[in-house]
Amino acid sequence: MKKMGILVLCFAVVMGFYGTAAAKTLKIGTLSPLTGPYAQDGTDILQGVKTAAAVFQKAGGIPGYKIEVIPGDSACDGGKATMAANNLINQGVNGVVGAYCSSATIPSSVPLNEANIIQITPASTHTDVTARGFKQIFRMCPRDDIQAWSTVKFLEDGLKVKTLALIDDRQTYTVGLTENITKFVNEDKKIKIVALEHITPGDKDFTAVLTKLKKINPDAIYMGVYQPEGSLMVRQAKALGIRAKLLSEDAVFHPKFLEVGGKAAEGTFLTFAKAPDTPERRNFEKTYKKMWNTQTIGSYGYYAYDSAMVFMKAVKKAGTTDTNKVAATIRDNTWNGVSGKIKFDKKGDRKLAHIIWIVKGGKFVPYWDPLTEKYF
Amino acid sequence: MGNGEFKKFIIYSLFLAVLILPMVGFPGTHFEAKRAFIVWGVFVGVLALGMLNQVVRQSGIYQKTLGGRHSVSHRVSKQFKKIPVRHWTLMLLAAVAAYPLLANNYMVDVGITCLIYIVLGLGLNIVVGLAGLLDLGYIAFYAVGAYTYSLLNLHFGMSFWLCLPIGILLGAILGCVIGYPTLRMRGDYLAIVTMGFGEIIRLVLNNWDSLTKGPNGLLGMAKPSVMYPAFSQGGLEWATYSLKSLHALYYFILLIAVLTVIGVRRLDQSRIGRAWVAIREDEVAAELSGVPTTWLKLLAYAMGAAFASVAGAFFAAKLSYTNPNFFIFMESCIVLCIVVLGGAGSIPGVILAGVLLIAVPEVFRELQDYRMFAFGLAMAVMMVLRPEGLIPATRRKLEPSDIETDTIEELEESYQAVDSRT
Amino acid sequence: MDTSSFLVQQLINALFLGSIYALIALGYTMVYGIIELINFAHGELFTAGAFIGIIVLSALQKYGFVETHFVLTLFLVFGMAMAYVGVLGVAIEHVAYKPLRNASRLAAILSALGMSIFLSNGMMLSQGVSDRAYPAIFGMKGFSIIGARITYGQVFIIILSLVLMVALNMFVNWSKLGKAMRATAQNQVMARMLGINIDRTIRVTFIIGPALGAAAGVMVGMYYGSVRFDMGFIYMIKAFAAAILGGIGSIPGAVLGGMIIGGVEVLWSAFLPSAWKDVTTFIVLILVLYFKPSGILGEDVSETRV
Repeated sequence: MKKMGILVLCFAVVMGFYGTAAAKTLKIGTLSPLTGPYAQDGTDILQGVKTAAAVFQKAGGIPGYKIEVIPGDSACDGGKATMAANNLINQGVNGVVGAYCSSATIPSSVPLNEANIIQITPASTHTDVTARGFKQIFRMCPRDDIQAWSTVKFLEDGLKVKTLALIDDRQTYTVGLTENITKFVNEDKKIKIVALEHITPGDKDFTAVLTKLKKINPDAIYMGVYQPEGSLMVRQAKALGIRAKLLSEDAVFHPKFLEVGGKAAEGTFLTFAKAPDTPERRNFEKTYKKMWNTQTIGSYGYYAYDSAMVFMKAVKKAGTTDTNKVAATIRDNTWNGVSGKIKFDKKGDRKLAHIIWIVKGGKFVPYWDPLTEKYF
Repeated sequence: MGNGEFKKFIIYSLFLAVLILPMVGFPGTHFEAKRAFIVWGVFVGVLALGMLNQVVRQSGIYQKTLGGRHSVSHRVSKQFKKIPVRHWTLMLLAAVAAYPLLANNYMVDVGITCLIYIVLGLGLNIVVGLAGLLDLGYIAFYAVGAYTYSLLNLHFGMSFWLCLPIGILLGAILGCVIGYPTLRMRGDYLAIVTMGFGEIIRLVLNNWDSLTKGPNGLLGMAKPSVMYPAFSQGGLEWATYSLKSLHALYYFILLIAVLTVIGVRRLDQSRIGRAWVAIREDEVAAELSGVPTTWLKLLAYAMGAAFASVAGAFFAAKLSYTNPNFFIFMESCIVLCIVVLGGAGSIPGVILAGVLLIAVPEVFRELQDYRMFAFGLAMAVMMVLRPEGLIPATRRKLEPSDIETDTIEELEESYQAVDSRT
Repeated sequence: MDTSSFLVQQLINALFLGSIYALIALGYTMVYGIIELINFAHGELFTAGAFIGIIVLSALQKYGFVETHFVLTLFLVFGMAMAYVGVLGVAIEHVAYKPLRNASRLAAILSALGMSIFLSNGMMLSQGVSDRAYPAIFGMKGFSIIGARITYGQVFIIILSLVLMVALNMFVNWSKLGKAMRATAQNQVMARMLGINIDRTIRVTFIIGPALGAAAGVMVGMYYGSVRFDMGFIYMIKAFAAAILGGIGSIPGAVLGGMIIGGVEVLWSAFLPSAWKDVTTFIVLILVLYFKPSGILGEDVSETRV
């Protein structure tokens, strides 16, 4: 009937719409949440990659090649991320930077692995990302246990606290951190964990949980939350008169935290990569700010820039886009990135030294180095 | 076009200006005039088109070209109607079956996702479309199917085929559990309560670390595999073929979708289906006519849940990964969108809407940001202009208020058309 | 911090949270009382108010207005946000709800849901995906009661909420329009027969209800410090739970419901595992709807309307 006819037409129309791309281009795909609650970090990632492409091309690029960045929206959803990954594969990408949520990276890595395309995730911290023996996947951001280790070392040897309270928001990333911190603290037996509280992402009011912690009165409170919640949490903590030291992680290391947190953010400790003051880093920051008309760059912008850069540099060094050779080149070399020195181990994880930063005078300032145990 | 129309247009445009200019014009502290006025211009343009459409319609031009018994569209659709449904269905099936052979992996993946959502839409169609129960927490049953398969497969190595009926059973039970407290609730309360249940399920999955590994999700489920007899060294043996490739998965979900269509159609045309429609239209009258509303409503929930459970198990198997984030409220909204836009109670409508809502945004990837924006608008507009959906259910056509025909002849025609299908 | 300070602090937290929920619930209950529609878009009206508030406040701050005319600033911020959202409310009613007044329940709810998605995405597209920081005008200064801290900002918001609630109550009970609203809510047909202009009455409801939501939005943005396009959803659900809990259509009920929901949320987190806080809120809602669908202060609503 008429209805069936419409359906047939529809299928035909949809089928006829897919296009293809051109040749002699180095195509870098991105998978990041461009819509949804994590869209800010997702956009930072896309912008970081595009900045890398611009800087790389300006510095000479790869002779004979054009660089094209193809965005993909993972929306922090496994199904959508897989489709986006398949779309990128279909468009002939040579490498992919992404995704952000581990729940998107893991499913999307399967078709990418099958198509043997380099994948560098700038943000997924779940262990399984690199634990499946895929040879072409790399992780630019540090794994949860590495970041947790830096935090615990700082708590034990830097701040020398006796009691610690943990807050997380029941997401993969933050739970990974609090679980690892708990593990290390229990192994070392120098600190006692006096509370593990949870908040819901998207909530604005944390006074109930914070009041509970104020009563317990730990020496330090670890806020395992994302930046929107972290910014609000420090404000409420200070309003309640909480005197414990506040710590958080690299997702909160974002200029928005300074903006929204304001004076309440002062004195918060954050773990983040040691940012080397190199010409490359200054160039990146200058280009990024100019390209995107902003004064602020989030942490994932740095990681994404490095991911794309390492990929392009490796392709140039290997002299080919063949994935196996490029992957080997990435693994065998040490690279200088804007988030520090980049060296990957056999599994694809990055050996990254975190340092402890502090918010001072409305800025992020390096504070303490867990490896050398020295202050800056 | 009278003066009144023009005045209305001006007033509406001013309203739009008041609403749009501040919100769009101040993403920061500076007034971004260009951006604000362009957006305002677009809305005013759409408004103008809408009002023009009204005026044209009133003048009767449409009747001449598109409506009426001797118009072009009527004659064309009459020709289409001459081809029996069977032939259309076969053509569609052939196209859908041939699709993976002509498409690349990405397109097949999109096709698989479309089919999953179509199964979900058809399942929800039973609850919302046929029985009229506004379920906003439908995605919970999808989660049950996914997690049942994941847990049973990872902990006990049970095969997909064994987990499927268990998942269906658990889904149906959960459907009854959720349905029971809502039996006496009115439509609006029902919506909120079911939404609450959906969220509760997701939160439980997210917080119950020891069982579901919480936000980390479950990884590593096996793909479904089929046993088939094959010749080998020792003679005839059973060999397994694992449905790993996208093409194999596509045909599998296609089979599931076809079975779902057949199942839902059977239900729709059975006494149960008619009873559901009676409940939807007027519950008190149905009850007084002897329809066992209580257990029929529970049955609706259970059947809808069963189909969602199957889709969930397939989804978990396809990704070999499941995570509570896959089952957020927005997903329930999307499935509901599919049912509503397609036409509550209409099978071809749901199929069409599923394709539109899933495949079209993939085609227009650059406009991804506007996807949900467009859906929200489409939903509201649809309800106001065409509540019966894109392809209305056949039954709706029998309602006197919906019939746009004027003569007895056309009435008879439409009755005959319905009869030929039932 | 000893037990008494702890309890007082948690009570203050609950009072503050409850006031906000109550204010949003009022908007809900008014609309539902008069046209029996769950206005899913109410959360977005709340968010829109917050955004307009931030736009006005940022503009005023740029010109140094805030320090010199603090009270006037507050008037302008709240006033313009409420006015804008009032217009938005009327627009939504006219476009998405009025045509469906006689249609099925399903159609109206779905239209509301569609509007909600449309508006929140519209705000995402126009205001961006990240949080917008509210200029801090209240600061952290406050005072202590029995060892518990309360800031001046919190005091202001609680008092303002109270003022708005009382004003609303007075309006509904004593003014002519208010009486018309109550009559329409009770029996629309009768009200029309008595000469009340139904369309206008509904329109007024859609100005006042959303305006209250907008005020709550400005308060939330101002106090907590940031606004994002999707912040309305969670508030909407909780406020709806509050409105139903207290008795939909009843103004004191909405206030009571708001306080209870705020209280449950805070006190649960204070004494029990905080991960399950939201589950508790939903369960409370479901239990109330099951055992007493009319809510605590609501009239006995029969299942079917004749």
